[in-house]
Amino acid sequence: MEKFVYTRLPNAPEEHLSEKEKMDMEFGPLSSKDYLYEVSYDPNQPLNPAVDEPPYFVVIFTYLNYLILIIIGHLKDFFGKRFMPQHFEAVLPKNGYPPWYSAFESFYPRRLKKRLDDCFARPIYGVPGRFVRCFDRISPDYNETFLYSGELKPLLNLSSYNYLGFAQSIGSCTDAAVKSVEEYGTSSCGPRNQIGTCNLHKETEALVARFVGKDDAVMFSMGFGTNANLFTSLVNSKCLVISDSLNHSSIRFGIRLAGAAVKVFPHNDMEKLEQILRESISQGQSKTHRPWKKIVVCVEGLYSMEGNLADLPALVALREKYKFYLFVDEAHSIGALGKSGRGVCDYFGISPSKVDMLMGTFTKSFGAAGGYVAANQEIIDRLRLDISTNVYGESMPPAVVTQISTSLRIIMGEINGDEGKQRLQRIAFNSRYLRLGLKRLGFIIYGVDDSPVVPLLLYAPPKMPAFSRMMYERGVAVVVVGYPATELISSRVRLCVSASLTKEDIDRILTICDDIGDKLYLKFSSGISGGEKHPGDYKKGVPPRWSLKEVLERTPEDCKKPTY
Amino acid sequence: MSVVTTTLIQNTNGAPEAVIAYISKVVKLWEQFIRGVEKVPGGSLVLNYIRASHKNDPWRTLLEVLLALVAIRYFFASKYSQDEKEKVHLSEREVQELIDDWEPEPFAPPLRKEERWELDAIPMVKGAAGNRVALEDPKTGNIIPNLLNMASRDFLNMGLNENVKQRAIKTIRECGVGACNPMNFYGTQDVHVRLGEDLARFLGAEEGIIYGQDYCTSTSVLPCFLKRGDIVIVDGGVSVALQKAALISRCHIEWFNHNDLDHLEEILESLQEDLREGPLNRRFIVTEALSENFGDSPDLKRLVEIKNKYKFRLYLDETYSIGTLGSNGRGLPEVYGIPRSEIEITVGSLAHAFGSSGGFCVGCRDMAYYQVLSSNAYVFSAALPPYSASAASAVISMLEEAEEPGKVNRYVKPLQDNTKLLYSLLKQSRKLQQVVSVRSAEYSPVLILRLAPALRKKLNLPESYGGPGSDVLKAIKNGHEEGYFSRDYNRENYLLQKMIDELIGRGVLVTRSKRVLHHELLPVVPTLLINVNAGFTEEDIRHAYECIEDTLSTTLSGLDADGLNQLVQQLEETNNIL
Repeated sequence: MEKFVYTRLPNAPEEHLSEKEKMDMEFGPLSSKDYLYEVSYDPNQPLNPAVDEPPYFVVIFTYLNYLILIIIGHLKDFFGKRFMPQHFEAVLPKNGYPPWYSAFESFYPRRLKKRLDDCFARPIYGVPGRFVRCFDRISPDYNETFLYSGELKPLLNLSSYNYLGFAQSIGSCTDAAVKSVEEYGTSSCGPRNQIGTCNLHKETEALVARFVGKDDAVMFSMGFGTNANLFTSLVNSKCLVISDSLNHSSIRFGIRLAGAAVKVFPHNDMEKLEQILRESISQGQSKTHRPWKKIVVCVEGLYSMEGNLADLPALVALREKYKFYLFVDEAHSIGALGKSGRGVCDYFGISPSKVDMLMGTFTKSFGAAGGYVAANQEIIDRLRLDISTNVYGESMPPAVVTQISTSLRIIMGEINGDEGKQRLQRIAFNSRYLRLGLKRLGFIIYGVDDSPVVPLLLYAPPKMPAFSRMMYERGVAVVVVGYPATELISSRVRLCVSASLTKEDIDRILTICDDIGDKLYLKFSSGISGGEKHPGDYKKGVPPRWSLKEVLERTPEDCKKPTY
Repeated sequence: MSVVTTTLIQNTNGAPEAVIAYISKVVKLWEQFIRGVEKVPGGSLVLNYIRASHKNDPWRTLLEVLLALVAIRYFFASKYSQDEKEKVHLSEREVQELIDDWEPEPFAPPLRKEERWELDAIPMVKGAAGNRVALEDPKTGNIIPNLLNMASRDFLNMGLNENVKQRAIKTIRECGVGACNPMNFYGTQDVHVRLGEDLARFLGAEEGIIYGQDYCTSTSVLPCFLKRGDIVIVDGGVSVALQKAALISRCHIEWFNHNDLDHLEEILESLQEDLREGPLNRRFIVTEALSENFGDSPDLKRLVEIKNKYKFRLYLDETYSIGTLGSNGRGLPEVYGIPRSEIEITVGSLAHAFGSSGGFCVGCRDMAYYQVLSSNAYVFSAALPPYSASAASAVISMLEEAEEPGKVNRYVKPLQDNTKLLYSLLKQSRKLQQVVSVRSAEYSPVLILRLAPALRKKLNLPESYGGPGSDVLKAIKNGHEEGYFSRDYNRENYLLQKMIDELIGRGVLVTRSKRVLHHELLPVVPTLLINVNAGFTEEDIRHAYECIEDTLSTTLSGLDADGLNQLVQQLEETNNIL
């Protein structure tokens, strides 16, 4: 307690690490060639595994938890506003000014999320690579303020979207980025169409287009901004957008800004989608019944909260049949999925020409920032002149562009030999190993086997901070997500696997998860989504509850088998 | 209850026995049901109530039963019953025919041949873009070296500053390039926290928060604090980002004439009655400290008085004024000597004078905290690359270190001097007065030139394009993408581009507003933009002025409607050859 003396974030302490130590902290060395896996898609297997349901009492207790939290929150608000108005300044009118935000709309963040604020926005220092170093902090007043000790705590990193491990401060990407700053400076100078296009942008856009398999691509300096400002250039109020219910907020924001009509289909439900399509095309626009000018179906390649993939084969078949435009957001899947890292099309072996527009971000797999849109030449030509971020917003700064082109070349195998291939195979192995290991231990895990996003279901809201804090104490950084990012009862921890982790790191994570899983009572899978000890166990009603020892012994081999 | 049974049986004398048996069975069941209800806790209370009310008013019971039935039906009815009613009933074959017949419009409207030149007009910079720049000709691949760069918004010439670069490189060597995570999930690096503090301290606010891109900042900040039922009064000349921010908030929007504070007061006065009676909703005045489209500033002193009088909050966009206005680059409030606390929300860009990239917002703690929770672009997007944050921090610390009381900051002074010089040269030029008017104010580092009104008339060009009631807005409303194109707008832009091309040939790179008509809610006038830079010498400015004066006057002074037609024809022909 005494060591937490800084009220504001202190500067990071001096470090005395050798180059090698630093490098290993960022990207773990591969211990054996056994721990590599090349992905392959088997069309005969069901795409997204059956979803495991928790026991009823878990559901009931989760609702009860919320009920208690909400009642206490309202009681606190009721009495607090009357007896301690100084703590409620932001939600109470003052001197004739309305509150900054209403007590009602901010109830959830103030009364529920605040309780676990210490699990969010932990300030870090340095590369969020294999390890992430957090500033150690405590809160003396229930997360109103924080006190810092000035020390850094290294945590195994399961939180960053650093899928291919390109978040590095040593290596060819960083050297190229540094050179780029030396040569091109730090400024993005202005919008792309005014002055912000330099030879780096042109070359990298061509490279991106080649990588994703489209004619041309255009890049933007922010991933969220890519989607948020894309749709105003594509659709208008006489167009229909059919959107997956779990699409990212940026897509929803963009569609709202464009003013297009929206219909939502249940997550990955292709039958319902077809039904909506048939009805929409035959009925036309509401009231006037004129035909829709365009219909766009928006899906994500890899859903970042579920670990599910879009059912691309079915979508492509529907596209042939109904002539809609298919938009795939590959924010999480580009780089992380497919034999050569080219996203969902690569994974399913579908030609990118079957998808009208591929959007993605550079934040995740490439260790950079920003987003891109790739499509036919005709479309990109129009978008270059039309997309508002290109015309009014800043361009992508040079060092970021360089980071993208260098990491892309590594993935494509144009430089550094088979480093790119190895990264892809490492993330594939790591994802499968961690997922199968957790399933065998008895956790409820969502998503497909090859997805690097591994959501572990917690359900009851108090388990979120408990899990995050216990992992923090044991040296692992994780991200917990709850309502409104997920359904009310399915709070979860999202483990993001990275190529920078070693097999031994995952052993350690499994050990820690096993311990916490027992303490927090989290192992209640039924085995429907895999992890059975003997084939047919699920049907016999035997849930998978392997011992840690068995899991560590057998899973590294088993996870490489096509089905498990 | 048994009384009912007996009377029923008595009254049905003579009826077939089967009917009697049937009825008595129903009645028995009913009695059992009633007894069952009585056993449920509180059940007898309900029964007594129904009996009592029935005794008083049998119709009432009927009405209540009907009401209950309606409620049940409503509850089970589909949410979309309204849509269902509108639906045309079609057979499966008809549906299939309609599906086969349906032909969508192209995903994005293909470029017309007369718009194609716009693509080629995007300058391709070869190498770094400092205050001198080399361009690559997209057609020939030839390099045009050493142009005076009057297109960059790096006003203080910080992008290539050695000190800034070293700080950025140091951060890349520590943190890599990307932040890899949203701010709330391990994406907050110490350099982000530092930059937030630096911005708050430099601008005199409680707290600062950082966004990944300047253009997204407003569209994300404003909707946090404005929802349906709230009121915003927006300057009628604001940039697209602010227009869209107001639009997406879904609140009530009023527009006041650009920088016309009398008009603003009029609107506020007219709203007073409604406001006094209505609930205490959130109220904002939104304006730019230095207008992107007009290059001038509002009278901030009076604006602050007005907003305090009417208890509105002020949302000030300092995208262009931070780093360029005020003796230390603290923006418009520094010019007027107004403390930052008077401005509730300030947003700005790190990509302009701060020589980096990204956007920011500063203000009071409560406001910033709420953005951390609910601002879209903050919560759902990855953090700004750490090195960009470092670069911006480096610029702020340089500005602060060079601060001397009573003096203009030595980093800002050359920019302001150059601006003043170029402004007065252009403004006083006789030759130019006839063909263009300088729209921007003397302090704006972006000099905005428009074709003079007389010349516009001579060329048969409209006063402005787009805006309320225009064909473009109608086309948007009706979803006619063909109608997004305006022939005259294209012609005027092409004329401006011709002059830019000419100027490139003379060693000066200027730019023009490349606004997209269908994104704009407000009227648009194409302009030439000349961005001044702190790195220019007096000779540079004079040289640029001579080139600009000469090019503009020779191209425009003899030009009439026929001449413009010829020019445009020439454009269409060249494209035909391509």
